[in-house]
Amino acid sequence: MIELEALSFTYIGGNRPALQAVSLSVAAGEFVVVLGANGAGKTSLCHALTGYIPHFYRGQLTGQARLDGRNTQSLSLAEIVEVAGQVFQNPANQISGVRLTVSEEVAFGLENLAVPAAAMPARIKAALALTGLSALADRSPYALSGGEQQRLALASVLVMQPRLLVLDEPTSMLDPQGARDILLAVAALRQTGLTVVLAEHRLELAAALASRVIVLADGRIVRDGAPQEVLADPALEDYGLIPLRYTQAARLAQARGLWPAQAPMPVTLESAAAGFRRVLRGAA
Amino acid sequence: MDSGLPTLYRPGDSWLHRRHPLTKLAYAASLAVAGFAAPWPAAAWFLLGALTLPLAAWARLARPLGRALLWSLAPLAAALLIIHGLFNPANHTILASWGELTLGQEGLIYALATLGRLAGALGASLLCLYTTPPGDLMTALQQRGLPAGLAYVLISTLQLLPLMRRRAQAILAAQQARGLRLEGNLLIRARALLPAVIPLVVGALLDVEERALALESRGFSRPGPRTSLQAVPDTALDRSLRWALAAGALVTLVWRWWP
Repeated sequence: MIELEALSFTYIGGNRPALQAVSLSVAAGEFVVVLGANGAGKTSLCHALTGYIPHFYRGQLTGQARLDGRNTQSLSLAEIVEVAGQVFQNPANQISGVRLTVSEEVAFGLENLAVPAAAMPARIKAALALTGLSALADRSPYALSGGEQQRLALASVLVMQPRLLVLDEPTSMLDPQGARDILLAVAALRQTGLTVVLAEHRLELAAALASRVIVLADGRIVRDGAPQEVLADPALEDYGLIPLRYTQAARLAQARGLWPAQAPMPVTLESAAAGFRRVLRGAA
Repeated sequence: MDSGLPTLYRPGDSWLHRRHPLTKLAYAASLAVAGFAAPWPAAAWFLLGALTLPLAAWARLARPLGRALLWSLAPLAAALLIIHGLFNPANHTILASWGELTLGQEGLIYALATLGRLAGALGASLLCLYTTPPGDLMTALQQRGLPAGLAYVLISTLQLLPLMRRRAQAILAAQQARGLRLEGNLLIRARALLPAVIPLVVGALLDVEERALALESRGFSRPGPRTSLQAVPDTALDRSLRWALAAGALVTLVWRWWP
């Protein structure tokens, strides 16, 4: 689906590379969560995947990104958005400002792609249903909460039927309820077979959603593997990430001889509950 | 549809609401031209009173239009009347005097004529924006060959005012919560301006980048024709009205500058 080959990028005026020799291959249908502390390069990686680097952001680029086997440098942004869509951090900034209702806002991308008007309602309805916004179709985009606006941004991209969806910290500006709603919508996308890359700094999300987890630090990929394998890695703290509470508790129990030395570290609430149940049974 | 819109558009189903966006744009343009070109100084006031305000009343928009005109033109009106009424070099007919200061008829007429031209143009433009959904205006402009980027910039700029007002209110509330005084004499108010304006401008500039990216992600830079979810009907009446308005503006220009 998308491949990065030794891709390095330094923004104009930047004193160090935002991405350093990043090589990555994401297959169709994968759900990849990219973790990293602030400034690790998550947003730059997202921009490289969707062609904004180098089409929107200028700078020094080496290596290449290939979308469906074609170098993104040889494609225009207009060609890329028909394959890859991106949702950004701030929901309010993703509203076009020239449409009066949620339905019309979702139609904005279809109008730009010159989709026939007769084909639009069905696609809009499907995108709104997928993001749980059907009941708000006639509301003003500006009358929505932050979480609803972010789901609107998601629907506005999904309606264009991309095969790769990149989400750059979509919950970072939302309250817990708004964040939960958008994550439920994103989780529902796993069933659609869409390829998803989600940049986040919260490990809980990665554990719950990902089929693969990548950790970035200083613009480099430092970990890449299955969620269980990456999230239980004690070295995560070295990259500015706070380990999961479940893993921390199990590690503490292990240090006191309660958690078996060979047992895997839990990365979800369910695996932690099962592990501690075994520990408690052993103690009884 | 609710009214949570940071837009000048006021939903409705009046005769004016149903007119094609370009017809209303032609109305605003021809009234501005007529107001500025007509040799009669009171022409713009006449057009405002005889056409724009009755049309606004018919669309149930007279009150918001009157209020908007008053608030936006009152400071300018005061400045124009003082400067030209008291200091215009053309002042020969003295209407009143206070010591060294004299109020001249010529300057007063010039100030009122200028104010009328501005009020006429602004009133007709606001009426166009109050009764036209921004998306319809953008679609209509694109269908007439205006590049999508230019149409978007024009329309979104018009929508910027209510958005900026909303953002300014939030910034002022936040600054007040941190002890900023907004009430008091002119000096105190002027001092409060900086902590309110700087975050407003800097925040708006920072948002531009993400807004541009979001537009790109929705195919905005794609070249070629666009489609529209909702048709913007252009009736025979609309076309006739546009011809009549263009002819009216042309007649005024000829009347003004014919040798």
